[in-house]
Amino acid sequence: MAHDFVTSADIPVDGERISSSKLDSVKRIAGGAAGLLGLVSAYLLFFSPDKVAGSYAYSWLFAFFFFFTLAVGGCFWTLLHNVSNSGWGTSVRRVMENLGAVFPWMAIFAIPLAVPGVQKWLYEWMNIHRAAAETHHASIFQGFLGGFYGSPSMKDALEADHQGLLVNKQWYMNQVAWYCRFVFYFLGLGLVIKTLRGFSVAQDTDPNPTTKNLFKARFHSTYTLIIFAITITFAGIDLLQGMKFDWFSTMWGVYLFAGAALNSMAVIIITATLMQKGGYLKRVVGPEHFHIMGKLLLAFTIFWAYIAFSQFFLIWYANITEETSWYLIRNTGGWNTASVFLVFGHFVFPFVILLQAWLKKNPKLLSIVCVYTLLMHILDYYIIVIPERSVSLMNLIPDYKGVTTSIPGAFWGDILAFLTVGSGFVFFYLRALTQTATYPHRDPRILESANVSN
Amino acid sequence: MSTTRKRVYGYLAEFGSASALYKAAEKVRDAGFRKWDCHTPYPVHGLDAAMGMKRSILPWFVFFGGMLGTATGFGLAYITQVEIYPTVVQAKPANIFTVPAFFPIMFELTILFSGFTTLFGLLALMKLPRLNHPLFASRQFHRATDDAFFIAVEARDPKFSPDGTRQFLEDIGGKSIELVEEED
Repeated sequence: MAHDFVTSADIPVDGERISSSKLDSVKRIAGGAAGLLGLVSAYLLFFSPDKVAGSYAYSWLFAFFFFFTLAVGGCFWTLLHNVSNSGWGTSVRRVMENLGAVFPWMAIFAIPLAVPGVQKWLYEWMNIHRAAAETHHASIFQGFLGGFYGSPSMKDALEADHQGLLVNKQWYMNQVAWYCRFVFYFLGLGLVIKTLRGFSVAQDTDPNPTTKNLFKARFHSTYTLIIFAITITFAGIDLLQGMKFDWFSTMWGVYLFAGAALNSMAVIIITATLMQKGGYLKRVVGPEHFHIMGKLLLAFTIFWAYIAFSQFFLIWYANITEETSWYLIRNTGGWNTASVFLVFGHFVFPFVILLQAWLKKNPKLLSIVCVYTLLMHILDYYIIVIPERSVSLMNLIPDYKGVTTSIPGAFWGDILAFLTVGSGFVFFYLRALTQTATYPHRDPRILESANVSN
Repeated sequence: MSTTRKRVYGYLAEFGSASALYKAAEKVRDAGFRKWDCHTPYPVHGLDAAMGMKRSILPWFVFFGGMLGTATGFGLAYITQVEIYPTVVQAKPANIFTVPAFFPIMFELTILFSGFTTLFGLLALMKLPRLNHPLFASRQFHRATDDAFFIAVEARDPKFSPDGTRQFLEDIGGKSIELVEEED
């Protein structure tokens, strides 16, 4: 291309690190806000009256899963970059790794979801399980892997309560297995991203840099990609689809993955743009990188639309009661407007905008599209989580009898929860970004990446 | 031996390497030539920028072709399924809310129409198909598919002059410069 050719003379020997007092103060503010709002959230979740705690549990789930997908997406791009043996993105790989590095910390914000007092508002099946265990004196451990090993007492208890569907689903939907999976998500994928980032960072200070770390990262990204797939799929089923145990969609995991990959790429692009604005990544990241990342953004916009429509279309065509209930709630009242808006806002507009090649080469304009995409992602998850709130709480809290599609005033809780988890996310992300060099300066492919042309 | 004068197509100049061609292309561009082209055995990254090529209007053809496909798909499905012969299946509506059922055909026709506009728009813009090209009269030109890099400046160009252009091509490093005449 017309811009200057990057040679090894342009790459500092000790790499480039972010050292900005402005960033430190942002980090401190975000950390402080996360702590303070976290205390408020903890009070609302655990000590407030049922009406507040019940609706705030849904706010928390919405906010948590939104940022969870971004962090999971960071892990995905790191894994994909390594496993596909890519050269183009070496100069932005550290941004991907640092976004992924937030993932283990998301466990902190997941803790409320593991507390029975919060679960009782969110997951109806757990209430049924607990009630069955209590009235029939069955132990929840007896139900563990019940379908496979046939420990009958929990099954009998559910049977006695006429919960045939839950008896059939018990091999998956039982509390012990739920907690095991819950721990596995954060331990498993957390370990994966920590190790991969470790390989990459170790190379920065390697006095004799070879391809050793690169090959190690490539090898270990292959089978661990399965851990990623399991995490996003089953976390989506456990935490979101589980809100409605009689509903199922075989597209669910893929749907969440499509949104996660799309929006974590948006975060990566925004980060790279801001870093360039702050004077970093100047030599190694150029318009070509933004072009490629913009293309990935376009690809996953299309992929998301494809999956979202497939899910809707299969359910619409088959017209099975257990499946359509999901869309019935979301196509009622104001939610219908939001759903229709999602079709245009999440697909049609960004699709047409992102088709422009010149726009993808302009970091600033591309970042604006990325911010827009993230806003649509918020709407997407809002529509996934929040319509369930009024339907569920109506049965659990007598005061909410007669509330139809939404609980008035509950959106303040959504904003608060979003700010809480969001400021925590920003804190851990900035922390990861300032911990390491801004790009892997001793990676054998850094020059190939810096001079990429497509 | 023919006594009629042949029409001149233009000058053909050979360059030693892809990078020499790239640099020469920038100079031809800056000299203000319009009707000229580069011929290489393989794609050279960034050559379009070096040649100062403007963005093609083909994407607009394709965009409107695709839109036409979407509209055709919707029209076909809507007119037959809703207006002419409404089919009620599983109590699903036969009105504008039947649109999910139309999406696959709308999608397919969008792809088909934009595919066609890409192909035929491309052929039209490149003035293809044609049976012969004046450059094929050159004996050295067949090496453009093998190991040689050429710049051809056409005589149609307003800046073309028999001596000046030859001199110019020599100055920017062109070798074995040849005046190509059209075959009868």
